[in-house]
Amino acid sequence: MRNKKKITRILLTVITVTLFLVTLFPFFIVLINSAKSSLEIITDPIALPRQWSQLFSNIEEIWTSPSIRYASSVYTSSIITILSLIAISVFSAMAAWVLVRRKTKMSTFIFLLFISGLIIPFQVVMFPLVALFRTINQTVGLQMLRTYHGMIFAYVGFGAPLAVFMFHGFIKSIPLELEEAALIDGCSKTQIFFLIVMPILKPIFVTISILNAIWIWNDFLLPSLILGVGQDIQTIPLAIAAFAGSFVKKWDLIMTAVLMAAAPIIVGFILGQKHIIKGMVSGSIK
Amino acid sequence: MAKVRISNINKIYPNGFHAVKDVDLNIEDKEFMVFVGPSGCGKTTTLRMIAGLEDITSGDMYIGDKIVNDVSPKDRNIAMVFQNYALYPHMSVYDNMAFGLKLSKTPKSEIEERIQIAAKILDIEPLLKRKPKQLSGGQRQRVALGRAIVRKPEVFLMDEPLSNLDAKLRIQMRAELIKLHKELETTFIYVTHDQTEAMTMGSRICVMNDGIVQQVADPRTIYNAPANLFVASFIGAPQMNFFDGVVNDDHDLVIGNQTFKLTETLTDAVKKKAKKNTSLVVGIRPEDIRCGDANEGVAAIVEMTELLGSDLNVYFKIAEKQYIMKAEASNQMKMGDQIFVVFNPDRLHLFDKETGESLIY
Repeated sequence: MRNKKKITRILLTVITVTLFLVTLFPFFIVLINSAKSSLEIITDPIALPRQWSQLFSNIEEIWTSPSIRYASSVYTSSIITILSLIAISVFSAMAAWVLVRRKTKMSTFIFLLFISGLIIPFQVVMFPLVALFRTINQTVGLQMLRTYHGMIFAYVGFGAPLAVFMFHGFIKSIPLELEEAALIDGCSKTQIFFLIVMPILKPIFVTISILNAIWIWNDFLLPSLILGVGQDIQTIPLAIAAFAGSFVKKWDLIMTAVLMAAAPIIVGFILGQKHIIKGMVSGSIK
Repeated sequence: MAKVRISNINKIYPNGFHAVKDVDLNIEDKEFMVFVGPSGCGKTTTLRMIAGLEDITSGDMYIGDKIVNDVSPKDRNIAMVFQNYALYPHMSVYDNMAFGLKLSKTPKSEIEERIQIAAKILDIEPLLKRKPKQLSGGQRQRVALGRAIVRKPEVFLMDEPLSNLDAKLRIQMRAELIKLHKELETTFIYVTHDQTEAMTMGSRICVMNDGIVQQVADPRTIYNAPANLFVASFIGAPQMNFFDGVVNDDHDLVIGNQTFKLTETLTDAVKKKAKKNTSLVVGIRPEDIRCGDANEGVAAIVEMTELLGSDLNVYFKIAEKQYIMKAEASNQMKMGDQIFVVFNPDRLHLFDKETGESLIY
């Protein structure tokens, strides 16, 4: 009996460690190869770099090269990510709050619509979306493709279902009396939302921000459709794709750029992982 | 300080449920009014209508001399204490208490002063910097009271504020609320389903059932002179005993095959209000029954006894029906014993069987 337990534990440990290594391997390859020159990578891609200082000269080259426009793409990615996150969180929280507090058939229907957004794969709607954006431009005259607001608008649409779902679950657990107490204390509806409900939702905000930040920061497909590769407004994944597609594949620079792109998100994840788990649990169980 | 007048108030929910039916009630200035009744009797709905949290379907609500039907809760000059305290979890105790005052743009120095006074009254001065999470149930309840006190409301509304506390703390807080009412000299309206709370705290009690006010009176009257069967059965623990009976031509009371002489007062009341041979329900409280001799009492069999420390609850059976009486704790009765129970004739309650109304009061 005891032996059986021991074997199970060893087996589980082996599986976990293997999975851990498999998951980490691509990242490890990126890390070692970003400190190599192109020639070194081609000669032996899995060898450790001869000189780690090569990493810094690679970074410097990416940062300063006018053909890559890395700095501007970092700026673009940051703007799009931050504004999308704010819009997704605030609007979804507002929507979820109203959907929870107004118990009508209409609100149940709208909530189900949001949920259906979770089920439909992105690939199904990506071409209709581009067509829709083009139609908006033709009918209203508002340019949606290749603009910041078009990109952010699309992200809010794709990010809202999960966010509304999570907020909805959490808001249901907030006692209504809290809002009534605030009403008696003299709050308006808007004040109740911003002064009472929003601060209580903080763990969910953090969770949703991190989940969406990872997705938006790394996303390639949606920006490639809406912003287009090689256009004026470029996010980091687009910029990397742009110089990967040129005549010579500069593997050293690609690897370094990927590492640089991943770094802020990894740091963010490590700092906020406690909240992700907390938010996930409170969103799903309650 | 203000009176509250509830004038023919009705509440009908969109699904058709008639929660409050024609409630008409005057609550005097500085009074401690307790709404009591079973779950779903409309007491909380009435309170919420006073607070403005629930729309009034018909009727008028006055606070002071002003109709407040369409006045928003914040402008009614009331404060409410909720069952689950409803403290803002992200704010410290101080901020919880200051929140309403900040919104009404009260000067900082005054906020500080009012909070210090309230904290002193409630003995929560050392807790001001803590978050609600770090407080015990009793402390949270005090903070909720503090949040109400600092607003200096004309009317305090309390919705079962003690029901989340353990028994010992509840008794302690009960006494403190009575003290607080004396200190603040404000109108208190208190909702509870606990009759002990109602009896001990209220200067008047409003007993409700099915959305209808059954009786409004001081605790003593509610207990000694219940207006109908519902009030008689709801107030008092253990419950009042009921027997079916009839008044015969000689104005004597007949229960089963036994005849009892009624006291003069009761005979007068019965003569006035009851037709001959009307079916009655006779009520008697457990403490108004005693054990007697074979020649003065009715034979009964002891079913079960409950020792409460100071007294003994004796459950006995007469003609296959179970009743209860209170006896001295020293009494050695046990299951299966035959006893002879004697009813105190001065303490009988008579109710019309059809309407349930009292024939005496």
